[in-house]
Amino acid sequence: MVENKELIRVVEETVSRDDVKYVVGYKRGTYGFQIKPAFAYSAKDAKEFFYSPLCAKNLATYPLLEEKLPLRRGEEAEHKKIGIVVKGCDSRAIIQIIQENGLEREDVVLIGIPCKGVIDPKKIAKRFPKQSKFVDVEENNNDEYILEIGGTSHKIPKDELLSDVCKSCEYPNPPLYDILIGEAEEEFQPEHFNRVDELEEKTIEERWEYWEKHFQNCIRCYACREACPLCYCKTCMADLLEPQWVRRSVNLSENTAWNVMRAFHLAGRCISCGECERACPVNIPLMELNKFVEKEVKEMFDYTAGLDTEEKPFLGSFRPDDPEDFIS
Amino acid sequence: MSTKKNTELEEFEPNIIGFLCNWCSYAGADLAGTSRIQYPPNVKIIKVMCSGRVNPMYIINAFQQGADGVLVSGCHPGDCHYTSGNYLARRRIATMKKLLEFLGIEPDRVRMTWVSAAEGRKYADVVRELTDDIKKLGPMTKFRREKEW
Repeated sequence: MVENKELIRVVEETVSRDDVKYVVGYKRGTYGFQIKPAFAYSAKDAKEFFYSPLCAKNLATYPLLEEKLPLRRGEEAEHKKIGIVVKGCDSRAIIQIIQENGLEREDVVLIGIPCKGVIDPKKIAKRFPKQSKFVDVEENNNDEYILEIGGTSHKIPKDELLSDVCKSCEYPNPPLYDILIGEAEEEFQPEHFNRVDELEEKTIEERWEYWEKHFQNCIRCYACREACPLCYCKTCMADLLEPQWVRRSVNLSENTAWNVMRAFHLAGRCISCGECERACPVNIPLMELNKFVEKEVKEMFDYTAGLDTEEKPFLGSFRPDDPEDFIS
Repeated sequence: MSTKKNTELEEFEPNIIGFLCNWCSYAGADLAGTSRIQYPPNVKIIKVMCSGRVNPMYIINAFQQGADGVLVSGCHPGDCHYTSGNYLARRRIATMKKLLEFLGIEPDRVRMTWVSAAEGRKYADVVRELTDDIKKLGPMTKFRREKEW
């Protein structure tokens, strides 16, 4: 359990350091179960920081959005760190970005939070729709969530609201952090991500029917790309006109090409935070693609993303004894 | 790229795109030609400098534009002109094939082979086998681009 007082104290301490520009964390939203990113530029901004099981957003995207203004002659770039509040998966995202030289380790200060899993905003909004005020959710020791709406207190089993990816999370504690708040969570046995198995049992035609149905709904808003902490290319292949990899028209052909491209570019990089699926407005089960690729990469090449900053990227490296049974 | 409309009388002739590396497989295909080995004319060859040059999105793009199958061919492991291009290609194609299978697209439509410059006979065999396999699978229309105006 993360004490908010402790979190605020750590954020105050971090932001008061001379080499830290600001700290990104979570604050309460204005309505429903929405949380907002909070930015602390000075110690007094730290008071609105909080942490609860509602804090699902992966904040690892923020240091990459930092604007780098052109410099005048003789001027030197300001090297200041950014503090980020990270859960297990967010920390792995940062490791993966450092591994790809997207960030320097010195650029960030990581405030680690041992995570017990986060609530799926889609699930909770369905259960308690139309909340005009912010509702906080607490977790007790009996695997239940407690929330108070209009004076009545509700107790809900954790299993009903927990995000699907969190059930199969293998790294609840941040593997990389500078300051850890509270004590590390105990190791627990992750469940298998069974949605992938269910699909794999189907025949090839049934699988295409399933994906055709979902890809047809895609409106190509690219919310999955924007939410993903690892989709940080300055120019995405999907936006290029010359060569044009994916046409702009919204139809099954181009939607399939985009979704295959997205899933393939995350091969050996996805750290399963589930942001793409949470961001998708038409509920395409994108994590099924990501989890499948993750599983295959693990089985075929014994490679796991986001654990070691020194490891080589999956698609940029090879072993001479990689499996080649598919080659004739 | 337009494919002939198949009537019931006409046998389905698959449209296959082959990405062959400049140094081994393309020379292998050339050898098959100069040795006058008979093989089906269904593979349309695109010469690339290395099999590592083949972006897996090329495969998706070929399917979109009307290909029924894709062949990616490079030098044998260890023989790559650029030292390690074919090793990198192997990882990419392996992952892409698995992903396509999961999406419900027959993985046999994508084939990867090692053909050296001396293996004209092997190239002809590969093309023959691939054409037969894809004839059995039938045309690939799952996410073909609709006809342009």
